[in-house]
Amino acid sequence: MSSPATGRSLGLLVCLNCRATVRAVQAAHSRCPRCQARLHERKPHSLGITTGLVIAAAVLYVPANVLPVMSTRTLFDDESDTIMSGVLVLLHSGSWPIAVLVFIASIVVPLLKILALGVLLYSAWRRSTRRRLQRSELFRMVEFIGRWSMLDIYAVSLLATLVQVQSFASIIVGWGAWSFGAVVILTLLAARTFDERLLWDSPSHD
Amino acid sequence: MQCVRCHGPLQRPAHATIDTGISLAVTALVLLVLSNVYPLVVMRVNGSSRETTLIGAAGGLHAQGFDSLAALVLLTTVIAPLLQILALLYVLLPLRRGRQAPGQHAVLRVLTQVRPWSFMEVFMLGAMVALVRLSKFADINPGISLWSSALFMLSLSALTSLTSPEQLWRWVERSRR
Repeated sequence: MSSPATGRSLGLLVCLNCRATVRAVQAAHSRCPRCQARLHERKPHSLGITTGLVIAAAVLYVPANVLPVMSTRTLFDDESDTIMSGVLVLLHSGSWPIAVLVFIASIVVPLLKILALGVLLYSAWRRSTRRRLQRSELFRMVEFIGRWSMLDIYAVSLLATLVQVQSFASIIVGWGAWSFGAVVILTLLAARTFDERLLWDSPSHD
Repeated sequence: MQCVRCHGPLQRPAHATIDTGISLAVTALVLLVLSNVYPLVVMRVNGSSRETTLIGAAGGLHAQGFDSLAALVLLTTVIAPLLQILALLYVLLPLRRGRQAPGQHAVLRVLTQVRPWSFMEVFMLGAMVALVRLSKFADINPGISLWSSALFMLSLSALTSLTSPEQLWRWVERSRR
């Protein structure tokens, strides 16, 4: 494949705020002439910041899955649920489509995101030129699926609001939910700070 | 239209008018207000009943001291969409008459920042999951707000795809000429 012209090869910058295309030499004080936002050829410190966020997300992924997301307290017993045991409860109570949904959104998606971002970061640090197209597609998938991991947080939030002490039972939110929320936010931020153009920068540039 | 190299989407075609943007923003605003006035769900157990609105859905987290998590829920279901709608109306209403709102650039920048943080469609699915879980123990009645929230989700996603930053700045440029 012959390499097509890029903004960098033509001396052009794109403003990430308003999407204007600006000649790099005309960008006075590196501000966009249309919207005054700062211009950068690549997002500044993209790899470093994204790596930090992904490591933090990977660390918090452990308590998010080990600690209880919520406990259900009734007159007779007290039952704690992690994300996985919550999925099993749904499965055994016969609502398997919902169980599959929660399993994908809460277990598969966050794990996939952390692994995918890890692969992308590693290849970008190494300036690998292999399978670039597939890696671009992987990044777009990470961006697309990211928000769906919030599913369980919303479910727990509603349950905790509706089921309170004065009624037949109460639902106590656990630190698993907090860790899980943190994982979701950290990976969402990581996808935003990662500059996907780095996947295409040739090793000769510096 | 996609990039020849990475197959990413290129600039989307523009056939929206400012009026379409404004009417969708007003629609979404009305539905957001409705979703917060009427109950999302009403739960009845042993004669007592509890209910919550969209904005109240974060209340349980707040009551149990998980304020940061409550803030996250509130941000992604109420605050980000509300900011998006209000910022759009603030910019588009004067722009329709060829005028620029004071502080337009700053408002547009805020808009670009908050746009990706509305997760209404995920919230609706999360509400379904919660209702399925509760329906085993309690009598669940969907409230008016469940329907208005669903419509709010639809109008908001239409609004978001219609008013991309590219499109907004195209409107701004056209009014400058």
